[in-house]
Order: sequence, then C-alpha cells, then structure tokens
Amino acid sequence: MSHGHDDPTLHPEVQISTSRGYFLGFAISSILMLVATFLVTSHAVPPFGLLMVISACAGIAIMAQIYFLLHIDISEHNIWNTVALVLFIPLFLITIGLTWWMFSQLYLHTMIMPGMPGMMH
Amino acid sequence: MSSPACNVDPKTAELWDKGHYQYDVISTRTLGYFMYLLSDGMLFATLFAAYGVLSYQHSYFGGPTPADFVKPWYTFVQTMALFLSVLAYGFGMNALKHKNKSGVISGLLAAFVLGVLFLMLDIHDMTHLASLGISVATSGGMSAFIVLTQVHATHIFFGLIWILVMMAQVMIKGFTTEVVGRLLTLRMFWHLQAIIWVFVYVFVYLWGYMS
Repeated sequence: MSHGHDDPTLHPEVQISTSRGYFLGFAISSILMLVATFLVTSHAVPPFGLLMVISACAGIAIMAQIYFLLHIDISEHNIWNTVALVLFIPLFLITIGLTWWMFSQLYLHTMIMPGMPGMMH
Repeated sequence: MSSPACNVDPKTAELWDKGHYQYDVISTRTLGYFMYLLSDGMLFATLFAAYGVLSYQHSYFGGPTPADFVKPWYTFVQTMALFLSVLAYGFGMNALKHKNKSGVISGLLAAFVLGVLFLMLDIHDMTHLASLGISVATSGGMSAFIVLTQVHATHIFFGLIWILVMMAQVMIKGFTTEVVGRLLTLRMFWHLQAIIWVFVYVFVYLWGYMS
C-alpha cells in the first residue's frame, strides 16, 4: 500500500469524503433528534413506550453517523477500524451493563429506598 | 553477482531506510488515533455507567433532578449547533479532496463558529444551574449529570483549539502528509463528539427530563 506518497490528498481516506454522505448523516440524525425531542415534550406516549422510541431514535442516529461520518464499513481501507469498533462494543456493553446490574441488585437487597417500585426511574 | 557484504563500506553504509517504504503513514496514524478514540469512548462508558447507577430517586437526596431544570428545546438547539458544526467540517474535508484550500479553511471556520455556539449554550446552561444553587456537591445524581455533560464539553473545548491550530497549519504549511493526516484525525475526533452527544442528549437530557 504505497498510495498517496506524492500527494497526500489522493490518499483513500481523503477521497472517501462525499458531501452527500455527510449531508445524509446530518439529515438522518437531525430528524431523529427532532422526533425524539417532540415526543418527549408533547408527553403523547406513556413513559416506557417513550423510552423505547427515543432509544430507537438514538440507535438509528448513531448507526447513521457511524456509517456516514466515520465511514465504518468493510472497504479495504476501513476494515480495521470496523474490526476495532466491533471488538470494543462488548467492552462498552459490559462496562455499562454490569455496573448498572450490580448497583440495581445492591439497591434492591439493601432496601436503600422506601417503597421499592418507585425506585425504577 | 558478487557477495554484497564485500561491497559495503561500513563507514558510509545506510543501515536504515529513512523513507516510508511500502508503509502508509496516514493510514497507520489514523488507525492508531481511532484506537485512542475508542479508549476515550471507554471513559464515556464509565461516566454513563456512573450516571446510570446514580439516577435513581434516592440518588438526588431529595434535591433537584434533571426533570426540574432540563429544557429539551434549548438542548435541541445545542444539538443542531453541534451537528451543523460536524457537517461544516465534513464539507471542509470534501474540499480537501479537491485540493481547495479556501474551501477547507471556510469549512474549518464554520465548524469552529458553530462549535463555539455549542459551548456558549452549554456554559450558559451551567451558569443557570449555578444560579439555582446546583453544583456537583448537591447530590450524587447531580455529580454524575454535571461531570458527564461537562467532560463532553471539555472535549469540544479542546477540539475547538485543535481546529484553530489546523486552520493555521493549512494556511502556513499547505497540504503536506502531516497536515492532511492531522485533518483526518481531527475529522474522526470531531465526528465522534457528535456520536457521543446523541447518547448524552437522549439518555441524559431527554430521559432525565421525562423521569
């Protein structure tokens, strides 16, 4: 891989940029954030359903941004970024998930709260 | 074909090739920087975990909760400022593809101005909290809220300094391998801030507002 030595702007990671891709990433995530904000402020949906909907909005917005902005795909020049991200995702999930699980069990068993059902958000 | 060892003068022999033979400097650096950004993501994961376990009712110690002061539409404007800043940086990188120096500079400048707007809105929000008497010392829940949002704001602050440095380097040095490599790593950094902000906005601000 000896491309781009003479002219770094010809490097594939520069050439991968497209205005259309950046605009799509922006538009998709903006619309989803607008929908999430509107639903939360209008109180139209019950809380648990609302949480599911805004989580879905966040998830889709994140995927659009990862694909269109970070160019995470299986092309030759980005495959290792993709591998690194995929290997990191379990670490993120374990860090947040296990911590939350441990503390929720701790709160439950130490009866730290008066009126347990109210403990859930 | 003579034995190479006989022909080499040890006094003048170059043992190491100083050039980057068969070795892609930019790709090596961007992959290394992406690894760094992922470990930075681990920092945010621990802060999100802390917020997750410190956002129960008892975490606020009877004091104010995010539902009392979060204004979703205000923070939505902040979101738009950051997303537009990221979009402007993307357009700047598209200009780099066409070696358009003024396009890169104007993209970076627009990204900088919108990033400053984001940061000003955040600082205004934090001074509003301070005027309500809310600080990191108020409760565990407020500590987690303020530290998580302000660690993100700190990333934006250092990103803005980096954008200024890159504007100067593009103007002075032009598109050398080093400058182009740094523009690519800054692109990753800046775009990752938008990705982390989606999590902060939805799971801290919006969820905090509806709790």
